[in-house]
Amino acid sequence: MIMEKRMKFISQWRGFAILIVLCLASAPASAAKKVKLLQVEVFPPAIVLDGVREESQLVITGHYSDGSIRDLTREAELTSTNEQVAALQGSVVVPVGNGSADINIKVTGKKISTTVSVSNQDKPQPVSFLYDTLAALSKNNCNAGACHGSPSGKAGFRLSLRAFDPKLDELTLIREDFGRRTNSLDADNSLLLLKPLMKVAHGGGRQIRSDDPAYAVIRDWIAEGCKMDAADAPQPVSIEVYPKSGRILEKPAFGQQISVWAHYSDGSVRDVTKMAVYTSSDVEVADVDRTGLVNGARRGEIAVIVRYLEFIESCFLTFTEEIEGFQWNDPPVHNYVDTLVDEKLQQLQYLASNLCTDEEFIRRLYLDVIGILPALDEVQKFAENNSANKRDVLVDALLQRPEYAKFWALKWGDLLRLTSGQVTPEGVHKYYRWVERSLRENKPYDQFAMELLTASGSTLTNPAGNFYRTAKDMNDCVETISQVFMGARLQCAKCHNHPFERWTQDNYYGMAAFFNRIQRKNTKRTNEMFIWVADSGDVTQPRTGQKMTPWVPGQGEITDPDKHDSRRDFARWLTQADNPFFAKIEVNRIWSHVFGRGIVDPPDDFRDTNPPSNAALLDRLASEFVESGYDRKAILATMLKSRAYQASYQPNDFNTDDVKYFSHYQPRLLGAEQLLDAICHVTDIPEIFSGLPVGTKATQLPAPDLVKNDFLKIFGQPDRQTVCACERTSESNLSMAIQFFNGPLVYGKLRDEKNSFRKMIEAGKNDTEIISQLYQRAVCRLPSETELQASLDHLVSKENRVEALEDICWAILNTNEFLFQH
Amino acid sequence: MHSELKIMNKSGIQLVAGILLGTLCLSLQAEEVSFKSGIAPILIDNCLACHGPKKAEGGYRVDSYERFLTAGDSEAAAITAGNLEESESLQRIIAEDDCFRMPLEGDPLSVDQIALITQWIKEGAKYDADDPQAVLASIVPAPTYPDPPETYPRSVPVTAVAFNPAGSQLVAGGYYELTIWNVADGSLVRRIKNMAQRTFAIRFSNDGKTIIAGGGSPGQIGEARLFDAETGELQQVLGTTSDVVLDVQLNPSGDKLAVAGADGAVQIFNLSDAKAVRTITSHSDWVMAVAWNADGTQIASASRDKTAKVFDVETGELLVTYGGHSQPVQGVVFHPNDELVYSSGKDNKIHWWNKADGKKSGELALGGEVFKLQQTGAFIFAASADKSVRQLDAASQKEVRKYAGHGDWALSSAHHSDTKRVASGGFNGDIQIWNAEDGKSLISFVAAPGISKKE
Repeated sequence: MIMEKRMKFISQWRGFAILIVLCLASAPASAAKKVKLLQVEVFPPAIVLDGVREESQLVITGHYSDGSIRDLTREAELTSTNEQVAALQGSVVVPVGNGSADINIKVTGKKISTTVSVSNQDKPQPVSFLYDTLAALSKNNCNAGACHGSPSGKAGFRLSLRAFDPKLDELTLIREDFGRRTNSLDADNSLLLLKPLMKVAHGGGRQIRSDDPAYAVIRDWIAEGCKMDAADAPQPVSIEVYPKSGRILEKPAFGQQISVWAHYSDGSVRDVTKMAVYTSSDVEVADVDRTGLVNGARRGEIAVIVRYLEFIESCFLTFTEEIEGFQWNDPPVHNYVDTLVDEKLQQLQYLASNLCTDEEFIRRLYLDVIGILPALDEVQKFAENNSANKRDVLVDALLQRPEYAKFWALKWGDLLRLTSGQVTPEGVHKYYRWVERSLRENKPYDQFAMELLTASGSTLTNPAGNFYRTAKDMNDCVETISQVFMGARLQCAKCHNHPFERWTQDNYYGMAAFFNRIQRKNTKRTNEMFIWVADSGDVTQPRTGQKMTPWVPGQGEITDPDKHDSRRDFARWLTQADNPFFAKIEVNRIWSHVFGRGIVDPPDDFRDTNPPSNAALLDRLASEFVESGYDRKAILATMLKSRAYQASYQPNDFNTDDVKYFSHYQPRLLGAEQLLDAICHVTDIPEIFSGLPVGTKATQLPAPDLVKNDFLKIFGQPDRQTVCACERTSESNLSMAIQFFNGPLVYGKLRDEKNSFRKMIEAGKNDTEIISQLYQRAVCRLPSETELQASLDHLVSKENRVEALEDICWAILNTNEFLFQH
Repeated sequence: MHSELKIMNKSGIQLVAGILLGTLCLSLQAEEVSFKSGIAPILIDNCLACHGPKKAEGGYRVDSYERFLTAGDSEAAAITAGNLEESESLQRIIAEDDCFRMPLEGDPLSVDQIALITQWIKEGAKYDADDPQAVLASIVPAPTYPDPPETYPRSVPVTAVAFNPAGSQLVAGGYYELTIWNVADGSLVRRIKNMAQRTFAIRFSNDGKTIIAGGGSPGQIGEARLFDAETGELQQVLGTTSDVVLDVQLNPSGDKLAVAGADGAVQIFNLSDAKAVRTITSHSDWVMAVAWNADGTQIASASRDKTAKVFDVETGELLVTYGGHSQPVQGVVFHPNDELVYSSGKDNKIHWWNKADGKKSGELALGGEVFKLQQTGAFIFAASADKSVRQLDAASQKEVRKYAGHGDWALSSAHHSDTKRVASGGFNGDIQIWNAEDGKSLISFVAAPGISKKE
């Protein structure tokens, strides 16, 4: 056991040593670039330390002759001109005595300085419970969701999640259980400190050190007698992060110190770098330590999320590195999508893959636009077409096909939770037809949303009213609307401030105030529900007991809401051109459907901690979408006509590890319904869905619960119980493999007396013709010589010709080329 | 640089000499190293946090002698009598590589401590207490606590109060002490040192000669201490456990003591010989209060596990569980008719329920959480976070009087029938003495030596 541990340690150390060697090895490469340091800049330019608890994190930046910038905070030599006034702890300036001093900064022959003015060192500066103690507990994760911040706490000790409820925390820390957690006569001997120090057994293990800044804050607060803040004490109103977003850091200069300032209600500012909490959106690219120092590991982009109490800001950083042998090759640009994709690829030194073949393109495009495989003659016609713009022409043509509306209604059916269980059997057909018609007529997306959000009346005459049938109460409305139309997951904020995002509990109930007056009543007519809005009714914030005014992000409270139906105010705000969410979430959703991955991914999870992989692209798509009058077909056509969409799935030497920047196409398993339709297409045996018109395809089912089909369930058809895109899963599992190995559906179609190859036998086709057609049906291409020969050999080896063809067809259905969209 | 190095070398030599000398001295001593007074305290202070019942890192625990000797996941013998090499625990303590040395991430044990453990193993790793499975806290000699502050920088919550039999003095829990106050004028009469950090229950023995105080240091130790009421001398320590003792109660005849606390157990001791006669471990969380019935055959308990229970003292059998509070239960007493039980809790209520079937019979809502219940004669007293003490008629549950106007949460209460006085202790450190005849406040003072009487 010990030996094992020892080995682990040794191998870890060896890994570390290799890392150092690598770092050293890469250093000279960029040193060879010969850039000159032009100017050094220090933040903050002047420091005021008014009180014994104040301090200031310096951030020193070098500007170089090639236009690049570099964080020099740790390289610079720092000295104080008066150690009796201000001293340095690393790159942090701490006060010593009243007076003023300069901090001199020397780096690579450049010298600059910043002034420090220190005051109020001769009197105590009490710890603030709200802004110091609670921040210290948050900094050390005491109140995290997995620890004492969980709704029932841990081991009898419960804190509010991320300190969102200071009143509760005050009671718990000071009074609960006879004040056992704090000892103001001997603060170091308080259970609140002994436990995380592991001086007393603590289920959470060691969480604090006696030299942590948080330790001193908590100890001093207890020693001062666990005092509450004065009612008129200034409050923080915002935080500011330095540097601003957008820095590009070139390897090997992959470090960046961050500093955080809190702005107070009295206009004062204070450095809170040491009490802020830092999170990296992608730890594989870069990590952030407790002191706000970012350390890049490889090329890519991250958002550093900075949290101080309920304030959240982020700082976007890009890390670039020289890839050996990389040379930008100016790939063809079809439209602005490619220009913006290429900018990112070039910056991060990825090369785009070549265009896919025509066979790959037609299969890919049919599956994405209309959900089904192309007919034989369509494949042949496309192959024979020699015109230069035939791909664009095909895109435009497919968008006019009736199957387009039906297939995209399947996607919207997931979001709107179309099930006969929730919308009734009759209702679900009407609702489906409403969605399908909206898509067929290419109803502007803002109008589509407006009609859903403000729907009233009978659900049979106005099927859009079913929106409020599936969103069955106030909470459901807030959570559904925010996720579908704003890409925000607000469920957390129902009970507490969102732990990682800006959303607060007030926001949740502020939004709820638009939807609390909606009334729903089943009428005497079967399957009918009547939706209307009552004239009164208020929302009370459960924690504060406050009556909520309708509220929207960015704009704040709606002071003069529509007296009869405040949903209209919300819908107007949502669909106005400058709404920060509405257009983006929809173009991102469309993008993710055709690219297999959103620019923000998961596509319905927009948040600071999950930044877009190409913000400029997302912004441009959104603004084009708004300018086109929310024309979904137009934006879809732009995407489909881009080179980025038409890129081969095969990576090259310079993009193998890229999954985020669209340098090559991401192969993916066909969706459950697509797959079933594809099997039917290859075997020419349609699936019969009882109760639905003959010829209805799986991709055209109005609701999953209208039919019971095991195959669809196994391949991830969602129950539509939630609005989350994640409900449709493409995770592969054993049942899927078994379905294709010897499942009843595949088996049945292969053995069917009227299937495609049996009909071809009847029509007198020869083996080569049959095999070729099967390939064309399944993967839109003719078999290669080896494939054809292998099939013919099998036919020779087997006595029974039909059985041999069954085998061949079965084998084709089991190829990745068939199962995947590529 | 060179001279520094030399000095370091020198002190290094001194250190080695110190170890040699230390071992020499020890080996010269005739007495063998004691596990309970020598080894167990080292384990408690340095090892128990990670190798105990709450967290058994590496599958290894040291919370009893038997466990200390039992190998953890590594299956390497933890302690082998007389064999230092095959004592994995010692090897980990003296390891040079700080990735292996215990305590992990902590300062290494001192030279003296290591010498003591080494010597003990050499001498055969013997056990010098009774039960090898007993928790360490219960076998180590009772600690001598630090002196309380001469004058308090600030007051501490008054978590326990008790009148002396004559009713002239009030004993209150202080910080590492019991303070005794003159009921008439609130002056400090006496201080009894060598009490644990906090006191949660104070009782007088039936003959009035002994003060029994239950308390402890949160998360570290809990115990009941028996002091001579006259001299303040410590007579006995009972029921030592790993977290605070929250209540102590004598049976009606005064020969048995129930001790309950944050270890979730109720221990019953014979006062005559200090032997534990029964331990009840039915609760899954702290036991906040206990009570005896009139004939001393049953015990009721109130627990943070949101239940109150009644047990047969003789057999330890659980007779009934009451879960009606749905919140931690903090106080419990028997109805004089011995058919009902009163309990109080964080649900801000006093419930009374049938002992026979655990069904609720009635409840009284107060304006804040209700702490311990006290019974004297025909009355029940309840201290509450609504800053008052309620006096109820024990038979009818009628409110007799409300002692309102405490400056803060009332945490504790006591009643003296003969002098008709009620005392209450508050979270803010105040003690208030009330006239039980009219409910008027007679005097209020801060129960912290050195902090002057309030104006």
